[in-house]
Amino acid sequence: MDIQNTSHEHLLSALKPLAKEQHIAQHTNDAFGNSFYWFQLDMPDNLLEAARSLHDAGARLAMISAYTKQQEAKRNKEVAYHFELGGVTYTLLVLLSDAFPDMPSITPLFRNADWHEREMMELYGVPVRNHPNPRRLFLDETLDAGLLGSIVPLSVMMNGACTKDLWERVMESKGTKENS
Amino acid sequence: MSDNTTTSKTFSMPLGPVHVALEEPVYFHLTIEGETVRNVNLTSGHVHRGMEAMAAQRNFFKNQTLTERVCSLCSNSHSFTYCMAVENALGMSIPPRARYLRVVAEEIKRIASHLFNTAIQAHIIGFTSMFMHIMEVREIMQDVKETIYGNRMNLAANCIGGVKCDIDTELFSYLKKSLNTIEPMLRELEEIYLSDKMVIGRTKGLGILPKKDALELGVVGPVARGSGIVRDVRKDSPYAAYPDLDFKVISNEGCCVYSRVQIRFSELFESISLIRQCMERVPEGATITPIPHIPTGMATARTEAPRGEVFYYIRTNGTDVPERLKWRVPSYMNWEALGVMMKDCNVADVALITNTIDPCVSCTER
Repeated sequence: MDIQNTSHEHLLSALKPLAKEQHIAQHTNDAFGNSFYWFQLDMPDNLLEAARSLHDAGARLAMISAYTKQQEAKRNKEVAYHFELGGVTYTLLVLLSDAFPDMPSITPLFRNADWHEREMMELYGVPVRNHPNPRRLFLDETLDAGLLGSIVPLSVMMNGACTKDLWERVMESKGTKENS
Repeated sequence: MSDNTTTSKTFSMPLGPVHVALEEPVYFHLTIEGETVRNVNLTSGHVHRGMEAMAAQRNFFKNQTLTERVCSLCSNSHSFTYCMAVENALGMSIPPRARYLRVVAEEIKRIASHLFNTAIQAHIIGFTSMFMHIMEVREIMQDVKETIYGNRMNLAANCIGGVKCDIDTELFSYLKKSLNTIEPMLRELEEIYLSDKMVIGRTKGLGILPKKDALELGVVGPVARGSGIVRDVRKDSPYAAYPDLDFKVISNEGCCVYSRVQIRFSELFESISLIRQCMERVPEGATITPIPHIPTGMATARTEAPRGEVFYYIRTNGTDVPERLKWRVPSYMNWEALGVMMKDCNVADVALITNTIDPCVSCTER
């Protein structure tokens, strides 16, 4: 138990300098006394150092969540990295901006970040730098990254399904090819 | 799982996307040399339902129903963890009776889920009489679910702030009777299954996942515990009534298909014991607590589903619709382990090894 506490204290002292000054670390408890720590990192590049500290302390990556955060008039993407160590959950929050538009990959440190980061790239359109295996996970290669976040008007989506448009387009392209 | 380029000795073999182990679609690209699998790559995404996007358009109550439908066998774990995430975000504490009743529902589902997996494993091995036998015994738990909750799969037992379904004395005595009936049957099944020469010949030493790989890949549930990792959310971050109950975390150093099925069998009896303890200790009182004002905030929650850790993250913005609801299912962490388990295995063992992680495709893809 003492070793456990020491490793938590050591980890907290390593993570605190990487977080935003006004928002260093938040500690919450649930109704059963389980601990949760939250860190808003200063910039995406701090993620690697924070992830290395967690890796060295023996933490396990549990999940990565990407989402759009509405801040005043701006909508920016934010990514939450959730780790677990000895029953305590550590969440690192990283806000992306025009100045910092992408995330460094933590897959070299945590092998199980592979799927999470690929999902982040294709479903949420969050670019990840230096991913060792940036293949598609769920979506077909022909679809644009972040496509599921875009709004497609019903008339466009139904175009091929309820009219002859799609068929005519296919025939047209076939005809064009044959002619060329 | 690395690249699957073929050489002059190897060829590429597609397997799936349907009927690999279950009737759920996942597409394996195997690199084969003779009869031996040299490399594995998989493609999924055939049943992506966009559930996380749907969750951000529904209010907290509607999301209980939605999350219960993420997975069929782990359905209760999803509504359970979702409710815990909302309760954590709202700073709620559920009544003591509800804590116990949540455990009862969860453990009933665990028994049914583990039995389903072991039955399918017998089916893949070709031990059809064992498959039929387990499914018949499992029917007792299906009846329990139907009698107590009204449904055989989606129990709708949980709600934000407690449980929807109180269990009265009559139902408790029925549950007690059912457990007394099923327990000796499970002992018999365990003995036959784990000592059968055909099962041992097919599963012992097959699909090895060394502890080092299991730790690096962050696998969860019986897959982790079968590789000697003592990891169970019920013990590591106790929730509901688990802090007050006695149970063992079953683990095994075997690292193979056999050791994983051994763990699932042993866990059946732990679950029975947990339900019995709950029935003895459940206090009288309210089963639900009112929902307070919804603040702006965020919270996470995790529980131990039959397949391993379920993780939920919620962001609230003061309205009754979550700004973001994200979850990670146990299978999501376990798929990559198949690349390690199937390395140099026989082509005929691919389905058996796939089943050993108790895969769920629809919940992986959401």
